[in-house]
Amino acid sequence: MAADPNLALLKLQLLFHGIRAGNDLPSPLTNPFGLIHLALPEKVFVSVHLNTNGTESPFMLRKEGDRFLLDIEGKQSVSVGWTPPLKSYQKRTSSGLLVSDILTVHGDFIAVHPSHQCRFGRSGLSCRYCGSSKELSDHPPFTPRDLVEAIHLVMEEKRCDVVSLSSGHVDTPDGGVERLEKWVTEIRKHNNVLISLDLVPPETNDWIDKTYAMGVDALYYDSDFFNPNDESPREFQKHKARQLEALAYAAKIFPTGAVLSHLVVGLESLKDTFESVDLLIDRGVVPVLAYFPPYGGSALRMRWTATPEQVTPIYAHLYERLVRTRINPHWVQQYDVVLTSLEGRFLSPESPRYHLRLKNFYETRTGRAVRFGLASLRRHLRVREVPA
Amino acid sequence: MQVKIDTRPLPIVILARWWRFPVFALVNFALYYFYHQPPPEGLSVAGFRALTVFLACVFLWMTQLLPLPVTGLFALIAPSLLGVIPLKEAFSFFGADAVFFILGVFILAAALYKSGLSTRMALHLLKRGSKSPRRLVFQVMLTAALLSFIMSEHAVAAMMFPLVVIISKRLSGTPEGAGYSRVLFLAMAWGCVIGGIATMLGGARVPLAVNFLQDMAGQTITFTQWSMGMFPIVITLFSFCYLLLTRYYPIRILTVMEADTVLDQQLRDCGRPLLEERFLALLLACTILGWIFWGGTTAIMAAISILSVILLFMFRVVKWRQIQENVEWGVILMYGGAIALSQILTSTQAGNWFAETHIVPYLSSPWALVIILSLMTMALTEALSNAAVVAIVVPIGLSIANTVGLDPKVVVYAVASASSMNYVLPMSTPAVAIAYSSGYLKIREVIVPASIMWVVSWGTLMLTAKFWWPVLGVKIGP
Repeated sequence: MAADPNLALLKLQLLFHGIRAGNDLPSPLTNPFGLIHLALPEKVFVSVHLNTNGTESPFMLRKEGDRFLLDIEGKQSVSVGWTPPLKSYQKRTSSGLLVSDILTVHGDFIAVHPSHQCRFGRSGLSCRYCGSSKELSDHPPFTPRDLVEAIHLVMEEKRCDVVSLSSGHVDTPDGGVERLEKWVTEIRKHNNVLISLDLVPPETNDWIDKTYAMGVDALYYDSDFFNPNDESPREFQKHKARQLEALAYAAKIFPTGAVLSHLVVGLESLKDTFESVDLLIDRGVVPVLAYFPPYGGSALRMRWTATPEQVTPIYAHLYERLVRTRINPHWVQQYDVVLTSLEGRFLSPESPRYHLRLKNFYETRTGRAVRFGLASLRRHLRVREVPA
Repeated sequence: MQVKIDTRPLPIVILARWWRFPVFALVNFALYYFYHQPPPEGLSVAGFRALTVFLACVFLWMTQLLPLPVTGLFALIAPSLLGVIPLKEAFSFFGADAVFFILGVFILAAALYKSGLSTRMALHLLKRGSKSPRRLVFQVMLTAALLSFIMSEHAVAAMMFPLVVIISKRLSGTPEGAGYSRVLFLAMAWGCVIGGIATMLGGARVPLAVNFLQDMAGQTITFTQWSMGMFPIVITLFSFCYLLLTRYYPIRILTVMEADTVLDQQLRDCGRPLLEERFLALLLACTILGWIFWGGTTAIMAAISILSVILLFMFRVVKWRQIQENVEWGVILMYGGAIALSQILTSTQAGNWFAETHIVPYLSSPWALVIILSLMTMALTEALSNAAVVAIVVPIGLSIANTVGLDPKVVVYAVASASSMNYVLPMSTPAVAIAYSSGYLKIREVIVPASIMWVVSWGTLMLTAKFWWPVLGVKIGP
């Protein structure tokens, strides 16, 4: 009898290979962006791309009675949970906009791109946060009021803890803070959720103070990659230095673990990614390691070299360093398109008991209220208005 | 305003932000504790509880844990909650004469400010001094002092501040000009402080003190009597202040012609006086004459001021909205509470008991009381609102006065005038705070002349009490 698969590796493999659909599966099986939401054992959530273009995958989802089984080529099947696509995606706000045109739900967080400018979309890569870039740019414009309504509609159906707003690409000194302020204000006013922003590092640190003061709970300044040993042009080096400086300053302002930065695994050498992880953690920043291999069958996939087996040591290293530095890894609890730092526990010998207890507590109604209350209380205590 | 994130360790931040809550809890606990304690010998239960509330209010006024008006409201209801007097009776104290007098004065001052009449008067007065640097300093002081005779001093400072800023900006091109600007701002602030002593209108603290006198000693001080009593102090301090400012800070600029140009421009911008302004000037003159000739008690003075306010609106000189935005409503609330508290202290004999058992045994003569009260007032008023100081010190002083053979009027003259004599710290009075906000003044540059002013003011007060007040029939000692 084959041993139980490592859940972290399984999640990475699913992200890498995608999945095939067996018979008797319900319809619609995927969300509007072509992703199937699965719950692996131990509440490991993953959104898997359904291979419909004939691309092979060692994984197949099938239904047996009331159960869903994940068949793994050459291994024992794993019982999984299947989450039907959110019905609220098909609902409309009072102004007639489709919820799926406004937001995307990933695990316990809601991703929103108010400016319709997804960095991945602009690069031509397909984006797993917001679906196809082409579709995103075709979405009709929406207002903060529409977003608030859409969040309400989603939360009637599914519990979500965090709304993540992205400024998209901006070239202003504030790094996109002012652009998102009205959105944050409106969400704060109407929804009981934590808010995270995905911004470009601002020119000066007072914008970081303002970001926290206006009601933002967590902050992403995405690095994507640092390539620490690269000798790039001076301008780029300067940009990277400012990025690290902004991240380090933000880590002093925001609660521990609430300053995050996406690092895309596979874009640079794994040795460089290891160094980048250390670089960020030394500054109090939690790296969110995104493993986004291009979908099978695409031209870019041919050039992709980092396999799931090769990248697992990075996730183990990340988890261990977070535990040792006592940086809170709970700001990313359920993230179904990346392997979270907390899910790195499956790859590490470090005992996860304390973090698991905390994770389970945060997933209860009381834990959620405590988490939200503590975040608000901290802001109330730390933010002061002083004469200019 | 801009936001700042406090990155100190969280326990320190909590302590810094929430220290008030344990202190409030302690105040409540103290009230609860004393509520259940038997009163000391010679004091009734009601008196003991009234004294407890008074001490709690003194604590809250001194620490400013609550805004001053809110402590006033606390003073209004706390005695009733502790069973000293019925609530209805406590609320009725709010209708004191002084409260309505102050209300009328504030509305008249707001009308003066909003109509532009006070600015016009200031410009005309300043224009007379725009020929030489020393003359301009004198004229700024005189303008501030004269206007503080008829308006509250902080309203005068707020009104004159933009004018002095414009003049200073024109003159500040050189280091000598910047130094001179500092003298102008001090002249404005200290002119207001000194002028505010002269009449009952300079600051609302005098009517409050007089109200205490009526309630606790059954005597009064009229508008004219007050001004007569303060006349030598104002003249002496004004002259000394001018000499000090022009001697201590060397005036090195040769001409203030630029200021003259600015004032001409401002006067041109004012245009001809409107009918409303003329009417207001006439009304104000009549009101002051009414206070001088018929203002025998604060009740009559209150009636005169309210009548003037009614005429103000009958002739549509100002709109109610303009008044609403420019009246210090909080001061009225605070006075209401303070007056109620003093009446309760008197009716329960708590004030007398406290003075006789805790203060009188340590006083050797009436003079000792005057010296202590005046010094205590001047020290407190540098850090506290002068109205709060009057609310704290006058009831104590009046409770002791008769026991040591001191005319209670002396307490009012000494404490109410001393409460105006604040020159050093920005929190002492709005006039000084406004001057500091110009950015030309630094405490270390002001501390020496301000300390000299402080000592001279106290000396002048004592000499006036010794030699001038007896002439008016107010004696210290037998």
